[in-house]
Amino acid sequence: MFCIIAFIVLSIIAIFNVSYRALAKEAYECVFRRITFRPCNTGFKEKMQAKLVGKLLTKSVVAARFLNKHFELLAWLLFLTTVASIFWTGKGLFNFYMYGSCNGLNKSGFCALDPKGENNKVSQTGGSCGTGEGDESKVTLTNVSLDLFPSIKTDSKDEVVLIGCYSCDYTRKAYPLIKQLISENNVNYTFAHYPVKEETLYLLPIGYCAYKQNPDKFWQLNDRLFASEKNDIAKKEFVDTLLKDIGYDVEAINTCSTSSETNSAVVERRIQLEKTNIYGTPLVFINGKGLVGPKPYRVYERILKGWRFW
Amino acid sequence: MKQNIVDVVKVRQDFPFLGKEGVYFDNACQSLRPQFVIDAMNEYYNEYPACGGRSMHHLATKVTHKCDEARDAVANFLHAKRKEEIVFTRNTTEGINLVAHSLGLKEGDIVITSDKEHNSNLIPWQVLKEKLGIEHKIIFSKEDNTFDLETYQQALNNNVKLVSLGLTSNLDGVTIPAKEIIQLAHKAGALVLLDGAQAVPHHEIDVQDLDVDFLAFSGHKMLGPSGIGVLYGKYALLEKLEPFMVGGDTVSSSTYLTHEFLPPPEKFEAGLQDYAGIIGLGAAVKYLSEIGFDFIEQQEQLLNKYITDALHTIKGVTVIGPEDPTQRGGIASFYIPQKDHHQIALMLDETSKIMVRSGQHCVHSWFHAHNIPGSVRASVYFYNTLEEAEIFVRELKKVVSIL
Repeated sequence: MFCIIAFIVLSIIAIFNVSYRALAKEAYECVFRRITFRPCNTGFKEKMQAKLVGKLLTKSVVAARFLNKHFELLAWLLFLTTVASIFWTGKGLFNFYMYGSCNGLNKSGFCALDPKGENNKVSQTGGSCGTGEGDESKVTLTNVSLDLFPSIKTDSKDEVVLIGCYSCDYTRKAYPLIKQLISENNVNYTFAHYPVKEETLYLLPIGYCAYKQNPDKFWQLNDRLFASEKNDIAKKEFVDTLLKDIGYDVEAINTCSTSSETNSAVVERRIQLEKTNIYGTPLVFINGKGLVGPKPYRVYERILKGWRFW
Repeated sequence: MKQNIVDVVKVRQDFPFLGKEGVYFDNACQSLRPQFVIDAMNEYYNEYPACGGRSMHHLATKVTHKCDEARDAVANFLHAKRKEEIVFTRNTTEGINLVAHSLGLKEGDIVITSDKEHNSNLIPWQVLKEKLGIEHKIIFSKEDNTFDLETYQQALNNNVKLVSLGLTSNLDGVTIPAKEIIQLAHKAGALVLLDGAQAVPHHEIDVQDLDVDFLAFSGHKMLGPSGIGVLYGKYALLEKLEPFMVGGDTVSSSTYLTHEFLPPPEKFEAGLQDYAGIIGLGAAVKYLSEIGFDFIEQQEQLLNKYITDALHTIKGVTVIGPEDPTQRGGIASFYIPQKDHHQIALMLDETSKIMVRSGQHCVHSWFHAHNIPGSVRASVYFYNTLEEAEIFVRELKKVVSIL
């Protein structure tokens, strides 16, 4: 067992230090004999044991005696630990590639490949930023009436839903990726504004009315809102200018947005979005699978295409 | 315990390796070299790096002259009758093989060896047994691993053509009673070949006094370079031997069909020789002669006694060979049942850079016969000190305590 663990450890060290390559080769020969069902009679284990114990003997007789007595057992423990760590490392790499997080889909634990957790960060419903306090596993589209929200329908069975906030950094990070995704793939697309900051609450009725007035122009408005500075979109005058630029009847929209019918519609849509168990934005659903936080493009694409991705 | 402190300290200054690191107790495998020997070899490469015994120019003449000087020095060192009795070989093994293959042994001829021979003095006879059908008789040692003269005497008869024995064993350092062995062999009409690899570096050898027929030894165990050795042979016998390896420089002339061999030693020294090695060996025997074997033996016995006494205090240690260290020269070979000899040696190296040999020391046959996996062999030389022996003992005790 020692040969295997020595081979793994020495191979890694040998990448950086040439002087260990001969030892790594010896360990490999020993491992090769083992895997070909021959005894490892190269004396490698004995040599290494003597060297390690001898080195320790210069520091502590007790420790050296312990190491010598339990050498095989310790080698086994080290082997199992190494196997476990290789497994977890592999799993982490797999998860990072597949979901943008070492810990799996929407799991916000520490990931060495994304140490700041950027791929899982959300703007929380309270208005602050972070990894959120909600239960990632509970986000769902079940019983949510998506028909109420602005959408682009195609003949595809694939469906992408973006629930985001115009003034949130992480939605702004995800938005261009989702746009790329829907432009490169034939999918049904739904967008829902879920403001987590008070300053953009007023955009709920405006968005509703704009879509009602002209659904095609709504997507231009959407792009312009995400492309504009956060401070600007907090000002109604700025948004009015945007609406005018796009060709909307600003007066009609303003009238619409203050109507009781619009208010009811906004409330109804808010209720629908709450059913997703949202706790922060962006929340993206691709064919029903919920992704919390801005993921790398490959993750969106892989989930959309499934194994066709390869 | 007293030692020749002044002498040893002075001597150690001649060896560039000493003082650099650790404790070198693997002298039975290979000795260290004094600067004197290294300088002699470097001088060849730097000052006259040419062929010897061939070209006529001044450099070649110098090489020939220096090699002759070395041959002279070795002859004097062994108290040989004439320098032509000295044949340069690569090592002891080659010397023994030369005799084995040149002596003209035939089916039914008996060759006697002991049970403690180095593979160099065992395998050639096993091969000749398979090839020619010679008989190979082994004289088993007494219980204390010393030579059994009585059994040997009984084994001698008219069919014994050669007695080939290690003069000093590399296994346990025991030296055989060579003079009596040779007398008895000669009485029975047999020749004697001695493997002097472990004897020549440590004891004064007088080949005329011993009346030995052949003596093979190596340079690397006696302060000389590696890759050079000597076969001493009585001139009359060398003349009769057919050369083992032939070719360049072994003949005075040749036609497409015939050749005429040169007299000994040239007819045995085929091809271009290791001139630096020969010159280095010449320097080594000069240095050893100056040191003197009285001092060498005294220092080795002093150290071996200290080591042996200490070994006897370690639980489970068995020293191979006679208990009396004076019978074991500079060698203390020991084992501890159930404890791995290689591990002990490696740990000594790791803890304090103590260099000893572990394993079966090319005497596999003896270890197999005694069902002993191997031993640790500490072998000292005259430049080793009591302080080094103390370090060895201290570290050995520490290592054994944790195994």
